[in-house]
Amino acid sequence: MGKFTWTKKDLLSIYDLNAEEICCILDTAEEFKKVSQRNVKKVPALRGKTVVNFFVEPSTRTRMSFELAEQRLSADIINISASLSSLQKGETLLDTARNIEALQADLIVMRHSAAGAHVPLADKIKCGVLNAGDGAHSHPTQALLDTFTIREKKGKIKGLKVAIVGDILHSRVARSDAWALLKLGAEVRLAGPSTLVPREFEKMGVKVCHNLKEAIKGVDVVNLLRIQHERQKAGFFPSTGEYSKFFGLNEETCKYLKPDTMIMHPGPINRGIELDSSLADGSRSVILEQVTNGLAVRMAVLFLVAGCVKK
Amino acid sequence: MPAKKEVCDADGVKAAVEKVADGIISEFLDAFPEDFVVIGIHQQGVPLARRLIDFIKNKTGYVPELGMLDISMYRDDIGVRQDLPQISETLIPFDMNDKIVILVDDVLSSGRTIRAALDAVTDYGRPGLIRLAVLVNRGSHEFPIGADYTGMTLAVPAERKVVVEFEETEGHDRVCTIDWKKKRRSAKEDD
Repeated sequence: MGKFTWTKKDLLSIYDLNAEEICCILDTAEEFKKVSQRNVKKVPALRGKTVVNFFVEPSTRTRMSFELAEQRLSADIINISASLSSLQKGETLLDTARNIEALQADLIVMRHSAAGAHVPLADKIKCGVLNAGDGAHSHPTQALLDTFTIREKKGKIKGLKVAIVGDILHSRVARSDAWALLKLGAEVRLAGPSTLVPREFEKMGVKVCHNLKEAIKGVDVVNLLRIQHERQKAGFFPSTGEYSKFFGLNEETCKYLKPDTMIMHPGPINRGIELDSSLADGSRSVILEQVTNGLAVRMAVLFLVAGCVKK
Repeated sequence: MPAKKEVCDADGVKAAVEKVADGIISEFLDAFPEDFVVIGIHQQGVPLARRLIDFIKNKTGYVPELGMLDISMYRDDIGVRQDLPQISETLIPFDMNDKIVILVDDVLSSGRTIRAALDAVTDYGRPGLIRLAVLVNRGSHEFPIGADYTGMTLAVPAERKVVVEFEETEGHDRVCTIDWKKKRRSAKEDD
């Protein structure tokens, strides 16, 4: 490990991080992963710290993963969801956050439907702020766990070819994954119907493909995103059947993959639409390892960020 | 006082390592090698642990197993210290239960690192016995923790910090003292 030292009190987006900071998180996560493999799956790193999980938008797996990560670090935890919070009574987000801070909380883990909602909070309060997803903008811990999983399996990121397939337009996972991979030197291809993958994305430095075969040929990793049924209603594609025919990964289309191509999915999977069951459960799938690694990565970012929150 | 002052040269370090190893051998020869493990605390406890194992091997023919421990997750100063510690690899490749564990660190000062290390070790299992071996005991303890094997005892003014340098990591063996206040704001604020 190098001489790098983490200095940020917040984790707002992958775009804000440089390659060194991303690697610092991944290296730290390697050690935290081992904690969950021991008999005693808990360390006192955040003993005496209070973490508030503030999920203005619903979440099951990210919230569960953050909560377990906090428990394994021995933090005290408060969970607030939008329906139970005073946001319903007209309180502003900043006022809610200031109330949380007045209770001497140390960290706020927040999911919000508005892109960038975390930024003004992080500026105005002393608590560390961790982004657990904001609109279609950013989902840094998902990108970190995906990057961690790829690095762990492939031994490196630099020079790898990674295809991300699905509803790129509405996906914070796609954006965050792409930035993380680009910063670490991978070649990124974004693929899906042209309505969901505008050419605009090429400005990031990625390749845009509107053909699955072209996108996945020769890649080391393929990351499938969930196709949300509500997008069909909005007219982005004619039917899930048609989407599946052209962009679903199945026994037929997976012939274009190299034998060692890794298959990823951030979950929840629509089996048979973007990904066939035989592949989701097959030997090339790392989907459940992504879940395991998510815990390690979240422990690492909570630990690093908490160390920079000054009272 | 000069910024960095050598207080012990390579020969002195060698003699101190031998003194620690001899103490361990004379007490635990019967337990070698099955029930006996050596765990180095990052950073400088690890090269010291390797040297102790080498010495024990040369003298007895037994090779105790080596473990490495990073205590960052067990510190009591998160959010207090200036910089975050960097986490190094913890590797305990053996079952700790009922083992005789020799914890190894370069310098015993406040005792806070050892306090954290005891918490960490006991999270990996239930050792039968834990002993502490250090190259330098400098006093100024803040916890009721002492060393069982000490290579050398140094009386160092409170404003100076003891730094052990090993050939494996710094290219030469020696013990120095440096200005404590300058060091205090760096990432290496240990012990």
